[in-house]
Amino acid sequence: MILLEQNNQIISEILEQKFSNVKEGGQPDKVNVNFCDFDGVYYLLSNPNGDKSKIRLSIALKFFKELQQHGADTLLQREYGSLLVTPEPQFNVTLEFDLNAIPNDYSEILRKASMLKRNCFASVFEKYFEFQEAGQEGQKRAVINYREDETMYIEAKPDRVTVIFSTLFKDPDDVIIGKVFLQEFREGRKASQTAPSVLYSLGEPPMELRDQPGARVGDNVGYITFILFPRHTNKKTRDNTIDLIHTFRDYLHYHIKCSKGYLHSRMRAKTSDFLKVLNRARPEVKMEKKTFSGRTFLAS
Amino acid sequence: MSATLAPYLDAVKSTLQAALCLEQFSSQVVERHDKPEVEVQTSKELLMTPVVVARNKLERVLIEPSVNSVRISLAIKQSDDIERILAHKFTRFMCQRADNFVILRRKPIEGYDISFLITNVHTSSMYKHKLVDFLIHFMQEIDKEISDMKLALNARARVSAEEFLKRFN
Amino acid sequence: MSGCPVQHWDLGVGPINCHAWNKDRSQIAVSTSDCEIYIFEWTKGSWVNIHVLKEHDFPVTGIDWAPNSNRIVSCSQDKNAYVWTFEGNQWKPELVFIRLSRAATCVKWSPLENKFAVGSGSKLVAICYYEKENNWWIAKHIKKPIKSTVKCIDWHPDNVLIAIGSCDLKARVFSAYIKEVDEKPSPNPWGSKMPLGTLLCEQAVKGWVNHISFSPSGCRLAWVAHDASIGFIDANVDNNTAQIVRTPNLPFTSIKWITENSAIAGGHDCYPTLVTVKDGKLVIVCKLDIPAAEKSKVSNTALELFKSIDKRSALEHANIKLNTMHQNFITEIQPHSGSSQNILKFSTCSVDGQVALWDLKNNTAVIH
Repeated sequence: MILLEQNNQIISEILEQKFSNVKEGGQPDKVNVNFCDFDGVYYLLSNPNGDKSKIRLSIALKFFKELQQHGADTLLQREYGSLLVTPEPQFNVTLEFDLNAIPNDYSEILRKASMLKRNCFASVFEKYFEFQEAGQEGQKRAVINYREDETMYIEAKPDRVTVIFSTLFKDPDDVIIGKVFLQEFREGRKASQTAPSVLYSLGEPPMELRDQPGARVGDNVGYITFILFPRHTNKKTRDNTIDLIHTFRDYLHYHIKCSKGYLHSRMRAKTSDFLKVLNRARPEVKMEKKTFSGRTFLAS
Repeated sequence: MSATLAPYLDAVKSTLQAALCLEQFSSQVVERHDKPEVEVQTSKELLMTPVVVARNKLERVLIEPSVNSVRISLAIKQSDDIERILAHKFTRFMCQRADNFVILRRKPIEGYDISFLITNVHTSSMYKHKLVDFLIHFMQEIDKEISDMKLALNARARVSAEEFLKRFN
Repeated sequence: MSGCPVQHWDLGVGPINCHAWNKDRSQIAVSTSDCEIYIFEWTKGSWVNIHVLKEHDFPVTGIDWAPNSNRIVSCSQDKNAYVWTFEGNQWKPELVFIRLSRAATCVKWSPLENKFAVGSGSKLVAICYYEKENNWWIAKHIKKPIKSTVKCIDWHPDNVLIAIGSCDLKARVFSAYIKEVDEKPSPNPWGSKMPLGTLLCEQAVKGWVNHISFSPSGCRLAWVAHDASIGFIDANVDNNTAQIVRTPNLPFTSIKWITENSAIAGGHDCYPTLVTVKDGKLVIVCKLDIPAAEKSKVSNTALELFKSIDKRSALEHANIKLNTMHQNFITEIQPHSGSSQNILKFSTCSVDGQVALWDLKNNTAVIH
């Protein structure tokens, strides 16, 4: 699995099972599942007030308020329409499915439900893509604190949209491994002409963010700039672009972690290999050991 | 094998062979104790002159012989940040397993990446020439392994970046 | 001619630090790196362990077996020395009042067996003798000017002089005259006035002196040092100038004169080397060795093969053995048969747990 999925597998699996159960004439049963996603996102699947014929899917995002400023509500209304209900306490968005009113082909509902997080994110991108398309300049830069200590900045220019991620490398080694990855992202355009161009800077924010209050500096801070051209932001391709770009931070860190895991397993293998070579220095000592029953055997 | 590696390893090998002539030696400072003299450093006359065998500025071996123990410290080639963290991770990983590696010192000597401590107990229970072979093998392999790991890391970074960027259209 | 007939036995007790023969060579005492002394007897073609002497509580560093009085003296890292006498069917230990504050490193009976010397990490040599009034072995110390652990001692055949090698990079000859037990010594090439502790000769060496040995006449002294050199003094010529022969070998740990003109040295090269004095100069003649014993059996069962792969990641252990008879360094050389002027067989013991008996009878390279 080299690319991360944009949808949430748990949502689609649980709903799929519940929906098909009802469609096959089974009795709806109780649901109560808590689970998490990237970026500190938190879900709850439950029955409202114990009513087993209905299932509620709620999502909590720490930064939902910031998304709301950029039209998240409108977009969710457009995507989910009547499924939206008043959010449950401590959650930001709640969808409700009436099991008795599920259409026969529920795959579209499933798909939409599992993309809930992605759609929460999408509004801010769409908004700035629109600005770019309309050639509007001078719009205030969007700032989304999508994780604690990590921020995403979006800005529209007539000819492009720049998306800047600030990310934090917790382990000093990650900074160096991260740098290798970021270098490859920068070079990546050579392999694919259609890709957006990628820039990065470590330690301090790029030029564009010099005037931005709160832009972090420090040895373990990295900034990655995606420059999206009209070919990425137009109506045909923007969904794909949003799908990809909102998972970028997780994608990067996922692969850094995998690399470390790989290096670790390699070191483990090599270390045990070294140990074997060292063992060659031990003469074979034949020791007689007595078993419990008094028989002797030779251990080498 | 590059032209300078063979003489470098030969020099290390000969020095080790001479340095590993260890004998049982009871401490003349602390009664009824038998300690590696190279570690306690209490009697100057029981230590031999330390030898540094260097291939270049980055790669060198410090061999400190004494009457009953030898300390061998390696500086592993680290030409960039990646090699530096890989060498560091690797040596730390091994040091945490020093129990199995009976001759590995838990902490490297300052200025070096990894240290071994061989005492007369080791040379009397193990083949000395095979211990030397192990150290030489280690020196050869560690460089190779680190550069292989570095290549693997770069390859992974490239593939994951390209895969990600390819999806944009 | 370099080959020489060798008999060798693995006594199965682990690394052997030192060994000693009884008078008729039917028994051998060995000490390992632990606290016991094992005595083996040659019975029906093999060595059988007949006694284990347990009294030391630290590794035994030296043993010597007085041939005529049939007493064993042993010393250990526990700072003590014991004189063992065979009474009834047992070896009885007797503690020596030796007053060491650090480990004892080596021990040797004097030729007349009325005293013995113990080298020590206390930077002194204890000359021990039996005090009849108190029924006790007591010691007098030779301290000055030894500045480090004494590694080796050897008695001059006149029972008075003693040669000492130590870690302070010196080989020395002292007088070990004990007026209570010795007759007044007559002058010899090493000196004439000699109360106990008189330094008669001191030579600077470039390494720790691993072993030292007087020739049968006592006029020549040879030592081996950790810088792989052999030192040699002929007191008849000049008892103040040493000849140092630097060798390309690894350091020697033991040297023993086999005739007045030839000596055997052995050490970290794991084989004995014959050296002789030719025209007043010490020269290395040849190495005496036989190739390592063939491996008893080739490991060819699947289980052994897999074990080997699992443990060593090697399909077979070719080339694991050294191609010398001993597989680890030689710790000591002892005479076995012949007179002191013409030793016909000598024995070596090694950290590999083996004792080997080397036959020089027909060796033409030995100079008498």
